[in-house]
Amino acid sequence: MDFDIKRLGFTLLGLLIVLNWGLLMNAFMRKIGARVARRIGIPWHQPWIDLFKNYSIRSQITHGLMFYLGPIFRLSGGVGIFLFMPMIITGDHWLNYSFQGDLVLIMYFQFFGMLGMALGAGEGGHPYSAIGISRGLSQFTTIEVPLTLAIISLAIQYDTLSLADIVRAQQGGFMHWSMWTNPFATAAGMLAALGTLGHSPFNLVMAPNEIPIGPPTEYHSTFLGVLQSNGAILHVVEAALFMNLFFGGATNWIEFIVKTFLIYFWSVFVGMVFPRFRIEQSVTWFLKVPLVLGVIAVVMFM
Amino acid sequence: MSFFSIKTDRSKYPQGGEDGKLQIDLDSHKYVKIWQGPNHPGVTGNMSVELTLAGDEVVEAKTHVGYLHRGFEKLLERRLFIQGMQTSIRMCVAEPDSNEYVFCSCVEELAGIEIPEMAKWIRALILEMARLQSLLRAVPGQGGTFGLGVGVQWGIYMRELVLDRFEELTGGRIYHMFMTPGGVRGPLPTGFKKRMEETLKEIDGFIVNIDNLMFNNAVFKKRAVDVGVIDPSWVDKYGIVGPTARSLGFNRDVRKNYPYLIYDQLDFEPYTTTYSDIYNRTRVRWHDLITTVDLIRQILAKMPEKGDFKAETPNVLHWRIPKGETYVRSESSRGEYGMYMVTDGSEKPRRVNLRGPSYNNGIAVLEDLLVGANIADVGAIMVSLQVCPPEIER
Repeated sequence: MDFDIKRLGFTLLGLLIVLNWGLLMNAFMRKIGARVARRIGIPWHQPWIDLFKNYSIRSQITHGLMFYLGPIFRLSGGVGIFLFMPMIITGDHWLNYSFQGDLVLIMYFQFFGMLGMALGAGEGGHPYSAIGISRGLSQFTTIEVPLTLAIISLAIQYDTLSLADIVRAQQGGFMHWSMWTNPFATAAGMLAALGTLGHSPFNLVMAPNEIPIGPPTEYHSTFLGVLQSNGAILHVVEAALFMNLFFGGATNWIEFIVKTFLIYFWSVFVGMVFPRFRIEQSVTWFLKVPLVLGVIAVVMFM
Repeated sequence: MSFFSIKTDRSKYPQGGEDGKLQIDLDSHKYVKIWQGPNHPGVTGNMSVELTLAGDEVVEAKTHVGYLHRGFEKLLERRLFIQGMQTSIRMCVAEPDSNEYVFCSCVEELAGIEIPEMAKWIRALILEMARLQSLLRAVPGQGGTFGLGVGVQWGIYMRELVLDRFEELTGGRIYHMFMTPGGVRGPLPTGFKKRMEETLKEIDGFIVNIDNLMFNNAVFKKRAVDVGVIDPSWVDKYGIVGPTARSLGFNRDVRKNYPYLIYDQLDFEPYTTTYSDIYNRTRVRWHDLITTVDLIRQILAKMPEKGDFKAETPNVLHWRIPKGETYVRSESSRGEYGMYMVTDGSEKPRRVNLRGPSYNNGIAVLEDLLVGANIADVGAIMVSLQVCPPEIER
């Protein structure tokens, strides 16, 4: 296998862009949330300050090897999705390591981070972590069902499991996007997106008033910095996944930024006006509305 | 039975022993013991709840106080009556004016002082403003326990507007001490009524917004309806008062049942429901918000334009009050708030005892109410009882 230094360089540069865009987008969302709540909100550079502060703190507490590895696994999940996610479809600089079948790997990496985090947080021994993990895994399992059905529907529609090919198939105009050609898959996917992006009413994994703050309870200092970095990357790549699947992908970075912002804002917008479900309510909801939409989407293209 | 409902095997849950107590063997690894508090966002102050869980379900709950004990009642026995003001108000940070009122009224009653008419109206105004600022935190705060933070922030903003009016009237935002034995410290400032009306107009809009945000919200209903249900028989068993009692159909409001100050001259009817779950308890408090805004408007419209605001009192540094005892009550935003005072003819009270609603409404009830609840609902149930731990630790 040839080692492509140019591709590696663009991938690392893309990761840097995604990380910083994720932090900035986080600041924007918190600022918007604050304005809705009649507050001034944070300065736009606050996420960087938080990140530098956390990375500069060292811990004297240990809960064992797995506790250290938890955030690493979590970060691997976010970076893993990024590596196989085409960012900009024009040219081949920003396709990262996208290949035939990358969708399956991306779906796997979505769960991989959570499983790794579960092992690490479990090692921390705090009961809130264990409760958060059991909630997180239960919820994500049910989120994956409608999301997978939506992806299966698109795979049948476009006859490919390559995300880059799915994006290319949507080029040629606004009406070529999956949101018009496959509305049921889009509806199922975007409802599943509410769960994957982790805002209310599906933020019961961290639920500050119930199990503050769930899995990362025992994580602090650099561990928290790693988790924050992953959060920034994950929000962008998750939004990019839905952008590529349903909204025609991006042909330049401006389009990428606008589309990922709007997709992420969808979950923030819903989260602003709804309280959170309990875990069994969340699971039931995903197995009702999005699941039915997902099944219809698959049946339509069989 | 719904297709999605899950049947729980109750045989795995702790059973009652011969003494009637639950048999919980923590070494069996079937149960988890967790503490919520004293530092926990779902707990309403400096107290903790010791929970034993089977899965997500609470099988045993114990409430613990003692994190904030300052011995206020004992301190009052070592202070002159005028010095007692500063101590008594700090028994409840959330609504200190009820403390002011009951302390002043106890002193006046034992000293045989009748306060002027104007002072009665201003005191009623302060008590209603205090109820308003307390409810502006409590009502949206219920949504906050479910993760609906926007309403909480709106409420905090509105509360700040009320605190602005407090600052204008009394000079203080949280602790006011505008009431003093014999009356109040001054008349209303010029233009106060107009500015208060502007604040009330803002709060009118907030009340409608909260109705839309919380009470017409499908997810809020899903979380709050049929959760934390109080049995009507508990009202007398635990001495439940105020909005919590009213949510059960017991129209217990000191302002109506035992009118004080000028409340018999005001037109209002406390709101009641007959089924006390989290939703209805919050709904009762939301209606209390409407009532309170209306009462403030009535007070401002009906109060005399001028008059004495303070009765003659002896030199407060050498004020000896004759031997006696009294119990004075008022209606706080959480329910009946009373003070029992005994004097022995000296310059200081012999004994002071406070009867706050939080212990009865919250701490005692909470232990029974949490059994069978989901861990996710613990904070919400506690907030729905409007517990103020500092008021217990006196």
